[in-house]
Amino acid sequence: MSVSLECKKVKRTGFLPVFFCGGILAAAFPAINMAVRSEMYLNLPDNPIQILLGANWQIMAMLNVLLIVIGSCLLYHTEYADNAMQKMKSLPIRESTIFLGKAVLTIFMSFFVLAIEAGAITLCSHHWFEIGSSFFSELGNHFGYSFLLLLPCIILSLLISEACKNMWVSLGIGVVCVFTATMLPTTNFTLSLFPFAMPFQVFASADVAQSIHYIYGVLAELATLALAQLIFVKVRRSFE
Amino acid sequence: MSLLSLVDVEFKKIRRSKILLILAVAAVILWIPSILNAKMNFGMQAEGISPENNFFIQGFLGMAWFMFPASMVVGTVLLSQTERANKGILKMLALPISTAKLCTAKFVVLLTLAAAQIFMITGMYYISAAISSGTQNYCFILPPLFVLKEISLIFLSAIPMIAFFWMLSVCIQTPIFSIGVGLASIVPSVLIINTKVWFAYPMAYPFFVITSEYGKLAENMDTAQIELIPWIPVAVTITIICLGISCLRFGQAERR
Repeated sequence: MSVSLECKKVKRTGFLPVFFCGGILAAAFPAINMAVRSEMYLNLPDNPIQILLGANWQIMAMLNVLLIVIGSCLLYHTEYADNAMQKMKSLPIRESTIFLGKAVLTIFMSFFVLAIEAGAITLCSHHWFEIGSSFFSELGNHFGYSFLLLLPCIILSLLISEACKNMWVSLGIGVVCVFTATMLPTTNFTLSLFPFAMPFQVFASADVAQSIHYIYGVLAELATLALAQLIFVKVRRSFE
Repeated sequence: MSLLSLVDVEFKKIRRSKILLILAVAAVILWIPSILNAKMNFGMQAEGISPENNFFIQGFLGMAWFMFPASMVVGTVLLSQTERANKGILKMLALPISTAKLCTAKFVVLLTLAAAQIFMITGMYYISAAISSGTQNYCFILPPLFVLKEISLIFLSAIPMIAFFWMLSVCIQTPIFSIGVGLASIVPSVLIINTKVWFAYPMAYPFFVITSEYGKLAENMDTAQIELIPWIPVAVTITIICLGISCLRFGQAERR
């Protein structure tokens, strides 16, 4: 019920086209990169997915994170812009339910974006490399992992947008967080657990233990952020 | 009303917006890794750049590639959204002021925000250079005249980019599109500066200027140098076109 309501709200805000165009843009990166300088990548020893993601994932992940930041800013901006939030608060709905609805919508859209990107990777591999027997299971592993690592980023940026009534403040904080994430070294485990830095990680099939540590990190962060959201809503309610 | 008093009014409007705080936080975060990794500046013999120059350039590279353009996008959001909240823009448009002047006043405020951020970053540069000098027993502080020359270069080269972002936020009413196009246009600038047509892409200017300075300071590195002839005319044309379009379009959507 809440999710379908959210879908109706974003109908004329341009939320869906932006995610669609962003996905296409991110998907175009490996294709353009391969078309322009394929000789750099064709003779590498790794398998196609690793080559393609190694060459392009930093920029693709950055676009994904920026999309999430913009999208979550917009989702709460529509509520705060004309005081719709006050009306929502007077209804018999909990604020956390609204948050959950928005989170489900953003998660679904990021899934969609990742699916476009996975499609692009498949096409690039088909065109420039050969698709081996284990290609699709590996593709699933990579993008499933990337999807999991995106979740804390989604929840945190929604939480920031919920906390700030003005769009530029939440966007500003989001931009600063993305910038911080690009400055953090990806090799340092503790630092790369920062929710905005995690999507920049690539699934390493050689080092499964490390990936499992990241997944535990995701679960812990999701639990913390969900708790933080519940407490934040309660505390803010009592001060308004 | 003169342009000056309009600019004054615009500053009053954003006084409680906390934008300076956000810009300051970004400036502080920019220099923290430089202080922590100050030791790495001594291992740059391959590039042939002196440690103090490397310290300066690395920090400003980080700023010019993403943070500075993205902060300017945030600035455009601030300027366009503060007045939409309670239909303030309608009241402004009802006054006997030329809309072009109003638009220019807002653009001047945006330029001032850019200058403020560059000054904050420079201030943080001196603080972090002083800290690193203390921890590494080596003087990282560069003469102020050199630093002033570099930061004014960055500021001047950023004007076409800021004009472009301003045009986006004036012409595209849906905020998500103007922000999305703005932020997405920053990301490819890393690739654009390596091509021959970099001068046609205003978002890459500040980054290009800083990279070419890097090439000048590092003896063994060859980066593309600034060629004034296609660049200056193209940059001026882009700025004039963007400002012209935004002055013409300003307030059109509200007056429909």
